[in-house]
Order: sequence, then C-alpha cells, then structure tokens
Amino acid sequence: MKILIIEDELELQGIISNYLNQEKYICESADNFRKADEKLSIYQYDVILLDIGLPDGNGLNLLSTIKKHQLKGGVIIISAKNSTGDKIAGLDLGADDYMTKPFELSELNSRIRAVIRRRQMNGDNIIVFNEISINTNSKTVLVDHKEIAFTKKEYDLLLFFLINKNRVLTKEVLADHLWEDNIDLAVSFDFIYTHLNNIRKKIRSAGGCDYIKTIYGMGYKFTDL
Amino acid sequence: MKFLDKINRRYLILLSIILVIGSCAGYFGLRYIIVIETKESLVNKELLIKAHISEFNEIPNLYPIIELKKIDQASNKSPEFKEIEIFNEIEDELEPFLEYSTYAQINGSNYSIKLRQSIFETEDLVLILVFTLVVILLVSFGILFLISKKISRTIWADFEYNLLRIENFNFTKRDNFQLRRSNTEEFDRLYKVIERLTAKLESDYLLLKEFAENASHEIQTPISIALLNLDEILQQEFDEKTFNKVYSTINSLKRLSSLNSSLILLAKIENRQFVADQEISFHRMSKKKVEEFKPLFESNELKVEIKFSHDFCNKLNETLAERLFNNLFSNAINHNNKGGTIQIVICENEFKICNTGSDHLLTNETIFGRFTKGSSKSYGLGLAIVKNICDTNNLQIKYTKNGMHCFKICKNKENG
Repeated sequence: MKILIIEDELELQGIISNYLNQEKYICESADNFRKADEKLSIYQYDVILLDIGLPDGNGLNLLSTIKKHQLKGGVIIISAKNSTGDKIAGLDLGADDYMTKPFELSELNSRIRAVIRRRQMNGDNIIVFNEISINTNSKTVLVDHKEIAFTKKEYDLLLFFLINKNRVLTKEVLADHLWEDNIDLAVSFDFIYTHLNNIRKKIRSAGGCDYIKTIYGMGYKFTDL
Repeated sequence: MKFLDKINRRYLILLSIILVIGSCAGYFGLRYIIVIETKESLVNKELLIKAHISEFNEIPNLYPIIELKKIDQASNKSPEFKEIEIFNEIEDELEPFLEYSTYAQINGSNYSIKLRQSIFETEDLVLILVFTLVVILLVSFGILFLISKKISRTIWADFEYNLLRIENFNFTKRDNFQLRRSNTEEFDRLYKVIERLTAKLESDYLLLKEFAENASHEIQTPISIALLNLDEILQQEFDEKTFNKVYSTINSLKRLSSLNSSLILLAKIENRQFVADQEISFHRMSKKKVEEFKPLFESNELKVEIKFSHDFCNKLNETLAERLFNNLFSNAINHNNKGGTIQIVICENEFKICNTGSDHLLTNETIFGRFTKGSSKSYGLGLAIVKNICDTNNLQIKYTKNGMHCFKICKNKENG
C-alpha cells in the first residue's frame, strides 16, 4: 500500500511516515503544494493524506488533480482548522474522510484502513488475528469459525483493536474513536470498561482467548505476546 | 409607527386645526366686511332720500326698509346703527335687520329717518362663502396629501430597499449585500455612512475570523507533534510511575487542545460565523442524543426521562445544535450522582433539562461564566458555549435550583 503524505510541518510528516512505515505502508512525502501536485500527476497512491493548510496554496485545490490522476487513491484531509465549511467543501470535492489536528496515530491507521477497504469493493475484506476474524463487508465476527453477535460499538472497538494490535491505546483514545469529536468534555470514560468486558466475555464464551491486556488501569493493548 | 404615518398624522391634525380656525376667521371676517358695506349703502341711501325730500317734498315710506316720520322737535341725537329683528309676515318668522336711525332737518321740517336692510341674505351669503372656502381647502389639501404620499413613497423607496438589505445582512453571505444609492442627499449620506461602517465591520470580522483560524492552526500543530511523539513513547515498556507520567502529560495536552478549540468555538459563535439555517426539533434532537449518550448513562446508572407534550423548534446551525445538546447532556451527566436522574421536559414554549446532583454555590448569574467550575474535572467552558449559542440564536437560557439542577431554554420574547 502506497501512501502520500502532504504535510508542510516536517516534524509531523516525519512522525506520521515513521509510524506508517512500521505499519508496513510505503510512504512518500510532499511538503508543499507544487511538490504534491507533481507527485500526484506522476505516481499512483492508495491513500493520500492531505493537509489543506499548505504554504503555497490551499490543499483543497489539489483535490481536482487527485480526481484526474488518482483512479484508486482515497483522500483523508488533515486540517488544524476545525472548520465545518472546509470539511463540507473537502468531502464535496471527493475526499473520503476529514480529520482534525490533533489526532491519534491509531485513529489515523484505522481511518486509512477504512478508506482502503471502501476503495477495494471487490476484495475479500477479512482481518484475521489468530482465532478471531472480522469480515468488514458483512460486519461479522468469527471466533473459531463461530459467528458471534456484537453490538455496533463493540464491533467498532474490536476492529479498532485488531487494526492497532500490539499498540498501547489509552481509554481516551478508545472513547474518541467511538465518539469522534462528540465528547471533548471531561466525561468519565467508565463506559469503556463495560464495552471491553462484554467483548472479552463474548470471545471467551466462544472459546477464544482474552487478548485485551490492561496496562496500569489506563491503557489497553490487543496482543498475543 | 412608520415615519410616513407619523408625518401624515401630524398633517391631518394640523389640517383640521387650520380648517376650524380658518372657517371661523373667514365667517367673522366676511360678515364684518359685509356689515360695513351695508352700513355704507345705508348712509348713501340716506343722502338719496334727503335729496328726494328736498326736491319733491314727498316722504317716501317703504316698510320695513324705509321708515320716515316728521317730528315736531329737532333731535340732536347722533345717527346710530343697530341690529334688530323684525317679524316677516310673508315668511312667518323673525328676520335680522341692520337699522340706521338718524334725524334730519330738510326744508325746515324735522324728520326721523330709519333705514333698514335685511342681513338675512348676507348671513346666508357668508355661510355659503365660508362653506365654499372650506370645500376648496379640503379638496386642495386632499390632493396635496395624495400627491405627497405618492412622492414620499418613491423618495423613500431607496431607503426602504436599503433598510431591508441591512435587516437581512449576514457576514457569511456578504456577496448579496448591495445597497442602492439615492439621489436624496440625506439618504445618500446615510448610504455612505452604512457603506463605511459595513466595510469596517467586515474587515474586523475577517480579521477576527482569520485570527481564530490562525490561532487554531498555530496552536494545534505543535500540540499534535507533542501528542504524536508521546503516543510513540507510550508504546515502550515502562514501569507504572513513568507510564502514569506520560499518560497524564498526554491528557493535559489533550485538555489544552480541547480548551483551545473551545475558546476558538466561542470566538466563532460570538463572531456569528455559524448560519442558523435549520429548523431544529428539540424533541428529535433529544431522542437522538439520549441514544448516543446511552453508554454514558448506563455506566453512571442514570435514569433518563423525556416528558413530551409539544415540540419546541428553533432555527439553529446544525453543528451548534449538536454542540448545545452535547454540552447540556455532558453537564447533566458530569454533575450527577451515581444512580441519579435526568429529566427532559419539552413543551410548546420551552425545553428543560434537569439533573439530580450535589448542591453548589453557583447561581443563574455565575454558572454560565467562562472557567466557572462546579467541580475540578470540568473545564468551565461547556455552559459558557451553551449560553453563547442561546444568546446568538434568539434563545434564553435560565438555570434554576429546586431540588434538581435545571436548565430551561425558551425563545426570546422580543423577537417572538
């Protein structure tokens, strides 16, 4: 999977591409409008991360180049401006998703995977982790080939864990993922425990292992290590 | 009252006063002139009669117009005029006459001369004249009135047009704000002033908007970098102490970022950057949010009731409406007791959300202030945002404490 990161903040660009490399993506970067435009018209990418606040132009204007040259590439806009206008304009111009800074790497990964899944309609979208497999087309979960019914939030959480396996995720990150930008107030995130316990219970009752490790009561890690 | 109506009302009042005074003055003035004329003609007649007597030595008598009597003694009474009434047998009524009585010595004889002239017709004449005058005045006033009304309407048309434009003025849709110039000097001055003011307002608005967006960008980017780095650090193996330090640093930074975006949101609301373009049903929204917040209610063991009698709707921006409800719901959850209740009442004129919870010292006046905190875990901006959204959208919000903590939203009375 090839990803183009269009981001003028070099430090941010570095962190993102490091992380995505770890996640086995091939990354290229462009730090201004001109370079991005050039790369977009020559190479093909699966996902394009687009910061719209570029020093030499509005990133939104790149969307037309993308539309012309990138047949299978999905676009995720990354913006520091939490502006509804930009968001609507971006999505209208063909972007697949919109994220506001600051964001989590795990959330970014989850969105990238969602975009890739959506773009490859014909492929079988099955994510497997040992005895657990998730079919993202039918939104079903199989444990040891037995289907288990999950609520929508539980399914979302499990999928998020599988995509970000072996990664420490704090309960705030999990809550943010479930609620997106709805809750930025200091509500207690105790409800996460309930969801997690349900997931554990359901997997265990189907004969699966409990892969959700609690880290000092604040974070979680989905791992078999 | 409209300007034109105001002018017209004054005009009508003035007109009726002028008419009353004018007709009275006309009546008395005309009458006075006619009486003088009559007197003159009576004096003239006296001379004619005197000449007639001395020439023909014959006493003419024509009651009641001429009444001549020979008297024995000469009288030195001076001639006088008086108004009398004489019974008219033909008409069978009393008629007013002007009587001129004088004494004269002609050819050695003394005469008492009484000349009278009926002022009955005169009176009629005066009335007819005054009436005609009033009619002419009324008609000309009426025509003037209609003409001026028509003229004012054309003159005020530009003004009305501009006023409508200004009423519908909206920063976010500035492109259709085009005022019409007027060839009336005052209106043109007004036009220039408004143009200048809106230009100034617009530049201030853009400046503030730009600032809000730049501030957002400039602050969120370094926070992003810090957070992403910390997230990477978090992936390493730690002892609990270090983990907690990194964890708390991450949460503090998130808090900073969220504070920043809340403050920017406040600035944007105050700057009226959100267009209220949707009729929001508070009932539908409540149901949606109850569904969304369900996990939070459940984990806090809260009981939620919706009492619905009639829907309460208001024009709002959708993003802001979401925010309004999120903040009110979060507030009702955050400051609730475990196992408490949240009550939502929706009726025609108001929306009310009440929650159980421990007592605090905040009042309706202080609770909506920025950084006013009921407990240490909140930022103190949630309700400030709620208040701001209400204030900028013709809504009124009130906090009352009566066993439960209640927030009541109703429409601003001034604007219906």
